[in-house]
Amino acid sequence: MNEADYKELKKGGMMRQAEAGLFSVRLHVVGGRLDTTQLRAIHDAADRFGRGEVHLTSRQGVEIPNVRQDSLSALKEFLSPSGVGVGVCGPTVRTVTACQGCRVCPSGVIDSPELADAADRAFYGKPVPHKFKIGVSGCVNNCMKAEENDAGIKGWIEPRWERGPCTLCGVCAAVCPTKAIATAEDGSLTVDLDLCIGCGDCIVSCPSGGMREARRGYRLFAGGKFGRKPFLGKRILGVLTTKEEAMAAITAVLEFFRAHGKPRERFGDTLERTGFDALERRVKEVTGL
Amino acid sequence: MTFVKVKMALQKIAPAGKLGVRLKEDALKNVISSLKTEGHAVTSVSREDGIFLLEVTKGGG
Ligand code: SF4
Ligand code: SF4
Ligand code: SF4
Repeated sequence: MNEADYKELKKGGMMRQAEAGLFSVRLHVVGGRLDTTQLRAIHDAADRFGRGEVHLTSRQGVEIPNVRQDSLSALKEFLSPSGVGVGVCGPTVRTVTACQGCRVCPSGVIDSPELADAADRAFYGKPVPHKFKIGVSGCVNNCMKAEENDAGIKGWIEPRWERGPCTLCGVCAAVCPTKAIATAEDGSLTVDLDLCIGCGDCIVSCPSGGMREARRGYRLFAGGKFGRKPFLGKRILGVLTTKEEAMAAITAVLEFFRAHGKPRERFGDTLERTGFDALERRVKEVTGL
Repeated sequence: MTFVKVKMALQKIAPAGKLGVRLKEDALKNVISSLKTEGHAVTSVSREDGIFLLEVTKGGG
């Protein structure tokens, strides 16, 4: 087998192992969710085609290692009825990661698996200049580390102050973890939305209803990565209030990467060249958000 | 833990009765949000040497 063939296999999620003739097969998992039928199929496949073990990847995926090259297609066929597909590698949109979101987690602000499924359907395996990772955290606690992704999403609650019910008790400013709330000279309160991390603590702590929810939804972070040269993604756009808006924004971000990214250049590096402003401008232009 | 103490104190008073609670900053969010969730009201707040003094009205939410 020549290098080009190996590359093709790798793109299809079959990773050549250190030991000649063996492959670690990456499976297609979205947001770390597998049903029991799929788990049973993976269990049986690992027994039959591997060495009875799986590897859980750092991005909620599953790999079956130690599969012989001549078993690769049989393994694929074996898994297919359970709905478990084989994953991707190379310059493509990779596994979409997600936490359990608001349907399961009491802290959840957005339905992370719902957005992950939509992103997976629209983007998974699609070609891009270099690997592109999408991850969804349901709230500010950020269990899925949004800023480590090329496009990371975080559930967000944006507060708004109303003078009427406010008794100027000072609780909101005291609980704010980023000191985003200040008292102006005229006695009114200001929320610095650049400092605000969207936790909503000021709202749940306000005794009188002076601090309210302006909007809740999805906050997008672009250009993050880990690996050799880690970089935290930066926040772009305001709070997006629907899944459709979030999808439109991610679509525009991917288009920007395709238009400006060089082969084998991670998105964060592209953005260092173009500037984050260029991305934000373009995404706003395309989506109207 | 602090909220558990407040809850126990509230059990001892009549509905619409008032309870004074002294809190440090780091307990505010937990206690106030839990009180609101359980239907009580924080009817006044004052501050003394960095300690928050809350007046809680039982079942007043
Ligand atoms: S990120 Fe938030 S919603 Fe998601 S699991 Fe963590 S705490 Fe829950
Ligand atoms: S916590 Fe509510 S009532 Fe107190 S200062 Fe803030 S907005 Fe006003
Ligand atoms: S939402 Fe959180 S970070 Fe933002 S102002 Fe309120 S307490 Fe501060």
